[in-house]
Amino acid sequence: MAYRWGMAVDLDKCTGCEACVTACHAENNIPTVGSQQAARGRAMHWIRVERYYEGNFPDVRVKFRPVLCQQCDNAPCEAVCPTYAAHQNEDGLNAQVYNRCIGTRYCANACSYNVRFFNFFNPEWVKPLNLQLNPDVSIREVGVMEKCTFCVQRIKAAKITAKAEDRGLVDGVLQPACAQACPTTALIFGDLNDPNSRVARLSHSPRGSKLLEDLGAEPKITYLDKQPWHEPDTY
Amino acid sequence: MDRRHFIKLTAISGTTAALTACGNPENQIIRFIPEDDLVPGVATWKPSICPLCAAGCGVIARVMEGDAEVFRNGKPGVIRMGLVKKLEGNPDDAISQGKLCPRGQAAIQVTYHPDRLDQPKKRSGERGGGQFADISWDEAIKELVGQLDALVAANDQASLAFLAKPRRGRRLELVADLLQRFGAKPPVTYELFSDEVLRRANSQSFGAHQLATVDLENAHYVISFGADFLGTWNSAVAQSVAYGRMRQAGPGARPKFVHVDARLTQTAANADEFVACKPGTEGLLAMAMAAVLNKTAGAGDYAPAKVAEKTGVPVEKIERLAREFAANGPSVAIVGGAPLAHTNAAFHAHAVNTLNLAANALNQSGGFSFVPQATQAATRPLTEILDAAPKLLLIDDVNPVFASPASWKVAEALKRVPFIVSFGSFVDETSALADLILPDHSFLESWVEAAPESGSAKAAPSKFGPVMRPLYDTRSTPDVLLDVSRKLAKPIAPALPNTFEEYLSAPTPEVRLKPDATSAPMARLKPDATSASMTWTEPQFDGDAAQYPYHFLPFASQALYDGSLAHLPWLQEMPDPMSSAMWCSWVEINEIKAGELGIEMGDLIEVTSTQGSVRAHAFLNPGIAPDAVAMPVGQGHTNFTRYASNRGVNPIAILAPATIAETGTLAWSATRVKIAKVGGPDKDGLILFGGATRERPDWTHGRGDEH
Repeated sequence: MAYRWGMAVDLDKCTGCEACVTACHAENNIPTVGSQQAARGRAMHWIRVERYYEGNFPDVRVKFRPVLCQQCDNAPCEAVCPTYAAHQNEDGLNAQVYNRCIGTRYCANACSYNVRFFNFFNPEWVKPLNLQLNPDVSIREVGVMEKCTFCVQRIKAAKITAKAEDRGLVDGVLQPACAQACPTTALIFGDLNDPNSRVARLSHSPRGSKLLEDLGAEPKITYLDKQPWHEPDTY
Repeated sequence: MDRRHFIKLTAISGTTAALTACGNPENQIIRFIPEDDLVPGVATWKPSICPLCAAGCGVIARVMEGDAEVFRNGKPGVIRMGLVKKLEGNPDDAISQGKLCPRGQAAIQVTYHPDRLDQPKKRSGERGGGQFADISWDEAIKELVGQLDALVAANDQASLAFLAKPRRGRRLELVADLLQRFGAKPPVTYELFSDEVLRRANSQSFGAHQLATVDLENAHYVISFGADFLGTWNSAVAQSVAYGRMRQAGPGARPKFVHVDARLTQTAANADEFVACKPGTEGLLAMAMAAVLNKTAGAGDYAPAKVAEKTGVPVEKIERLAREFAANGPSVAIVGGAPLAHTNAAFHAHAVNTLNLAANALNQSGGFSFVPQATQAATRPLTEILDAAPKLLLIDDVNPVFASPASWKVAEALKRVPFIVSFGSFVDETSALADLILPDHSFLESWVEAAPESGSAKAAPSKFGPVMRPLYDTRSTPDVLLDVSRKLAKPIAPALPNTFEEYLSAPTPEVRLKPDATSAPMARLKPDATSASMTWTEPQFDGDAAQYPYHFLPFASQALYDGSLAHLPWLQEMPDPMSSAMWCSWVEINEIKAGELGIEMGDLIEVTSTQGSVRAHAFLNPGIAPDAVAMPVGQGHTNFTRYASNRGVNPIAILAPATIAETGTLAWSATRVKIAKVGGPDKDGLILFGGATRERPDWTHGRGDEH
């Protein structure tokens, strides 16, 4: 396996601004479903920012946590798919083959992170909103499950360019749309197989933990905890 | 069927199909001109500037070849052209630094919006009824020229008014120039979330009538008084980039961020310490901290004990914050948002400036500085055209009918104007009152420029050409204005360039606005302690406290900003950072207080001020003061495209007409309200993307979270 894509999410830097959410829609042709379908829980956001309140006013704090597909090594979604639409690709991504998917939604039930979204309808882009569609990403039709791909189209393009130029990929240049947009650089993407990559180093950080780690899905996203403030004299 | 019949039938049906196709204008190919720099399937990146707020972030647009249904000379057709597919931050831009906010990411939908106006329109029905007929550009310009000529003939040039957003840059400069040459008064500007009171205070304290650039990256102690600087306030992308770097300062140098407010905003949620402060008293806290720093704390109105009583912040906390602020420099204070929207806003702005002077933060690393600016065109406040209606009003993409209190009666004032011309790309509440609409190009189709007021340490003026050809029969508004000025019976501007592009190429008059110019060391002015705005005055709230017990806190929506972005579907469906609400309005009520009142998540609540009432569903928020309720601004449009019309409610409508005396701008935090539960939850009422507000429900100290 040449590459093993992973991400580190620095919760100390995530401000909850949701630039990643809109950037993901723009890059991956994710449709909006409208208010009535959104009210029925059918809105699709491959990446979302969860917010958790602790305490009550005035002693109140909030933790933001961007949640996207954790690209698990031991992915529960893959084992349950009867058509192998959900599978692990050679780079360790939890890939989804849209034209194999028959819409059983078993994978969405099995996923511990609630990051798989079902197309209850054919997506609608009222003309000329269709002109904004990214030609590098296929449009999903009704009855198909979709999810975060780590912007696999960008990974493919970068690999092809690197091969044509007879070189390896440079750490930090290839980024999914969410990480590229993130104003505070809270999302760090890279190759976990490269011990010198930023993401590989951060994945061993003492601040790091995995989401719902004890379920054993072995996610490839490391969350770096918020740091407390001390006055310098208390160090 | 024999063979002969089959061939006959095929010939007939084939010919019919071909003829039908010719009759269908959508299938007509007007022209096929491949653009030289476009290779099918290969993207090129072209620079532009995001126009959605005043920050002026540089963007790069991903352009790829595609077939577009366009509108030319009154006819639709299909042409192959370069189409923008995505916007990213421009890595070479001093403001965006390669990053963008969610609004900037969605800016592409302005160009491709299905309800964008595709050609000039003339009112055909009753005013405000929303009925418009198509007219040609020649007729439209002739009509506008005729109106202007009539003013000249009556020697009544002063009755022309121009209403625009208060954006710094050469577009407004051109408008001001044209108005002056015509003999009219300066342009009128309006924006809801105005920082004019802070500019005025900065002018008095530091000699700079502008917002400061805060060096967050190098600051070790930051205290924000209400400023939502990571969300919607000022240059949010530049500030977020710097904040991200501040958080990376390394072990032993962890900077602290303190936020003072009455509601846990998205920015406040990131603070190391949140300080709850009574609305309208924030400046007192700053003055008390400054007094501790200056060792004058024992006496006067700003003694911590006196301030503690008014602000609700304990004495020990005030003293500790002041001590930390002094000991952990470089320290800097920021003010924005609700504190600048009280009737005593000028005091808060001056108080924070005083605290910054006490910390010696001006022009220091980790402090703040002012980017060199070209002299700004003089403008007038909205009240001038409300009091005396002009005879001819030109409106450039600003919507005061929506973004002002109903009690200002802006719509009624506009209805008294005999003739209104709008240049906006959409029909909204204001342009629905126009007699003539001359739609502008989108920003991706026209020359754009920005001279950011803040966000970088150095001046970063920029200008870029169009990144794609226009989709429709629209024209660049500055070009239309220049064209009209030449076509007048008595042309007014022989010396002006023919196009905006030429105007932008002319050298900037001010030498100091060269790129990379840095802030000149400014004379450190002593704040004038006797000036009226430096003296504490109690904030005035509309509504008797007994009858209207809650402070009303409208706030800029992270997605829809001041409502001008409610027409973009990506932003409508973006979950709000603090509530995860989409596509709707909501009322934030303190979680424990709501329990006492018997209000549950999603209940229908009526919020009533002295000016009227609105209804929205309750969001039980653990992060808002028990004596306050908050509502996001942005929804409640009556006429603003298919995505925003008749959705939610507009909290601005029920605000009291209170203004800040020094600037005449709206004091949008100065209203009190009462609330009443008028109904239960409704499945299409409060639309949340996320679930519970608690990660571990058993951690809650008050009311549990069982939603």
